[in-house]
Amino acid sequence: MRSPIRIVFEQRSETPKYLSTLVPLLSVVAALVVGALFLLATGYSPVETYSNMLSDGFTSSRGITDTLGLSTVLICTGISAAFAFQMNLYNIGGEGQLYLGMIGGAWAGLALGDRLPSYLMVPAVLIVGALAGALWVLLPAFVRSRMGTSEIVTTLLLTYIAASLVKHFVYSPGSFFVTKNSAFPQGRLVPDSASLTGINGTSLYPTFFMVILIALALFWIVKRTEYGYRIQVISDSPRAAHYAGINANRTTLSVMLISGALSGLGGAVLIVGPFGRLDPGIILLGYGYAGIVIAALARNNFSAIIVSGILFAGLRSGGDKLQISTDTPIHIGVMLQGAILLFALGGEAFRRYHVHAVRTERAAQ
Amino acid sequence: MTNTSHEVAKGPHHASGAAPSALSAHSIVKRFPGVLANDSVDFDVLPGEVHTLLGENGAGKSTLAAMLCGLYQPDSGYISRNGERITLSSPRAGLHHGIAMVHQHFRLVERFTVAENVILGSRDLSYKLNRSELEDKVAAVAESYGLPIEPGATVGDLSVGQRQRVEIVKALYQGAEILLLDEPTAVLVPAEVEKLFENVHAMTQAGKSIVFISHKLGEVVEISDRVTVLRNGRVTGHVSGRGAADTKELARLMVGRDIELTTQRASHATGHEVLQIRDLSLSLNGVSVLSDISFNVHAGEMVGIAGVAGNGQRELADTIAGLMSPSSGSVAISGSMTTDRGPIHARELGLAYVPEDRLGMGLVPSMSILDNLLLTRDRHIVVDRTSVRPEATRLIEQFEIKANGPDHVARKLSGGNAQKVLLARELSGGRSATKLLVVCSPTRGLDVGAIETVRALLDDARSAGQAILLISEDLDEVMSLSDRILVLYRGSIVHETPGATAQLSTVGAAMAGLTTEGNS
Repeated sequence: MRSPIRIVFEQRSETPKYLSTLVPLLSVVAALVVGALFLLATGYSPVETYSNMLSDGFTSSRGITDTLGLSTVLICTGISAAFAFQMNLYNIGGEGQLYLGMIGGAWAGLALGDRLPSYLMVPAVLIVGALAGALWVLLPAFVRSRMGTSEIVTTLLLTYIAASLVKHFVYSPGSFFVTKNSAFPQGRLVPDSASLTGINGTSLYPTFFMVILIALALFWIVKRTEYGYRIQVISDSPRAAHYAGINANRTTLSVMLISGALSGLGGAVLIVGPFGRLDPGIILLGYGYAGIVIAALARNNFSAIIVSGILFAGLRSGGDKLQISTDTPIHIGVMLQGAILLFALGGEAFRRYHVHAVRTERAAQ
Repeated sequence: MTNTSHEVAKGPHHASGAAPSALSAHSIVKRFPGVLANDSVDFDVLPGEVHTLLGENGAGKSTLAAMLCGLYQPDSGYISRNGERITLSSPRAGLHHGIAMVHQHFRLVERFTVAENVILGSRDLSYKLNRSELEDKVAAVAESYGLPIEPGATVGDLSVGQRQRVEIVKALYQGAEILLLDEPTAVLVPAEVEKLFENVHAMTQAGKSIVFISHKLGEVVEISDRVTVLRNGRVTGHVSGRGAADTKELARLMVGRDIELTTQRASHATGHEVLQIRDLSLSLNGVSVLSDISFNVHAGEMVGIAGVAGNGQRELADTIAGLMSPSSGSVAISGSMTTDRGPIHARELGLAYVPEDRLGMGLVPSMSILDNLLLTRDRHIVVDRTSVRPEATRLIEQFEIKANGPDHVARKLSGGNAQKVLLARELSGGRSATKLLVVCSPTRGLDVGAIETVRALLDDARSAGQAILLISEDLDEVMSLSDRILVLYRGSIVHETPGATAQLSTVGAAMAGLTTEGNS
């Protein structure tokens, strides 16, 4: 009688370096395969769809600038998620913090009007947006650090409130954020002094480079500074942190606030960049949620987030254009995003365990 | 292939016509990533015999035991039972063959009664439990081996020794003929050890086989009919005959060289008071953990705190280190109060603290040795690793830490080497020169060679004029190192005696709470 085959997960004592790259890559490939199955089942050609996405997202010059432009906000939400995740703080409300960043940024732009020159206005919009994002995470951060309340629940629920706030500010008559006496409820455009123009008329804004610098700075901070050291100690061993006199509560609070600020910055980037106004359309885009996937795919490594953020932006912008050029549903991009997250998380098992099949002899009964 | 292995399967005893071993392992090989844990190990135990597996930590004795009870499968080699080759694919299969393991860390449900724990996992229970009948059955099994046990008691209320008895009764109830006892004395006070040994004799009298796993030489000599010594995954020696083994000889087989675990005491007069504890009490969630503790430790003196685990030792150490605030009373280091001022303040006053839980508290598992050295030191805003690197390299050499270098991750160190990293950091001074060293169970789980090193390091620190508070559950260690011994029982100091004249029986009795008044 043939003995049954059993799949054995054996814990690795060391993860081979190549797996840290291979697993995320294969996650993306596996997600594309699943996406292909869905496309086939619904009657579209996967090859054609993917090649269109690829050319729209990555290969044409227009596609590249669109991708990099979109990646600006996605890298923001990605580093926002990763900054909290690396300390085992699951701020999944980056989406809501992004809305607040938009509200804050639009408010700063509109309230300050044309009174400041552009070189002060743009930073002001970005800073107020970041502060608004941080403000939105203040309550979850506080109750988490003092009472241990799950930040997963609080940040998620606050996202719904943030979405309602955006709608309120745009749809309530006479709101500060909308054009007066307009038949169509629409956010007011911030003044030119608070707007940047795309490089060479493309949708790539200078904020892209700022965000790259921030991601690299965070990479350095985490690896090299006392603050990063503390984060690492607390995330790995709260008891060792206590032993060493590291104040975990204060660090928890600050990490959450910085995470919120980074998502808020993502919202403000949209104000000085492509949107220019508070736009309820943001609610359908899910840039904040995408940040979670981007962080997971990059395993919270800030420099890798630049790559995964751009990759995602390409999938998204390629997917968006598909609907215009062909009749492929726009949701293929979002679906791929979800599939990538699932595979990236599942792929962790292969990094941690050596998986192999063995033939087992049955125990004597 | 199958033919030849079938021939071998009959085993040497069978082939030579002698009575077959109850259980034997033949040329067992087991590899773990990067480690050859068992290298063609042969081992056997006869019915009614105590056969000890002796070896340092990491020698491969637990790995072998795990294969004997079905927890692991050998990479090559095989196991036979009464001369028949068997395959143990799981602990349940082991039980089926009458092999049970009593683990060092008990696997009991604290909220269940003794009887409920004993029957847990049995598959032949009826849908409705008849408690009194089950309790009678459990009591009957226990009594037949002279294991006094209250089947209706809740396990959470039992002492460690009693819990161990529950584990043994459970194994017997499940029909075990061969019991593997993994470091069973590690958690017991001397009186309980004696009791355990009586139980072991009762079991062997009844024809059970005992595989006794230990690294404590004295008890091994006392209990064993035969001893097999393992070192680095290989069998380095066999000794047969009760009482035939000699501790010195066993130590040499275990370590590969001669070992001197001498008694060390302060060689010179002790200095001023470094640690002063006054009327210290601590309550946690309304439960008194420490009550009215007062004592001093002088420069150049080592004070040992003896006691069974869970009598307030950890809380005492944490309070001294500034990690817990006392409910009342005070702690002073070099005359300065540390009460309520946190761990960094205590360290600035000259405290070094080696906590009991190395990888859970003293070290950050995911960090490198280098980063772990920085844990209790003053780090600048930008952590300056380059200037600490040479020191890290030097400490790795000085403390003979087996590592690939300063970047070796703490999690991947063996227990002994992790402890050396911790000691290296704490003994090498951090925020200020060390005046007071609080060490908890510094040699627990270490091999004899490492114990020798650690004890020598502590002795050096004492000679250098540091005040040392040694908190350990290893009574031998406290007895042989301390200048003064305090016994902690239920959060109070119940006994104090000079180390040189301490009596094992008196200290042991105090640890078990048997003295009311005990200054000698």
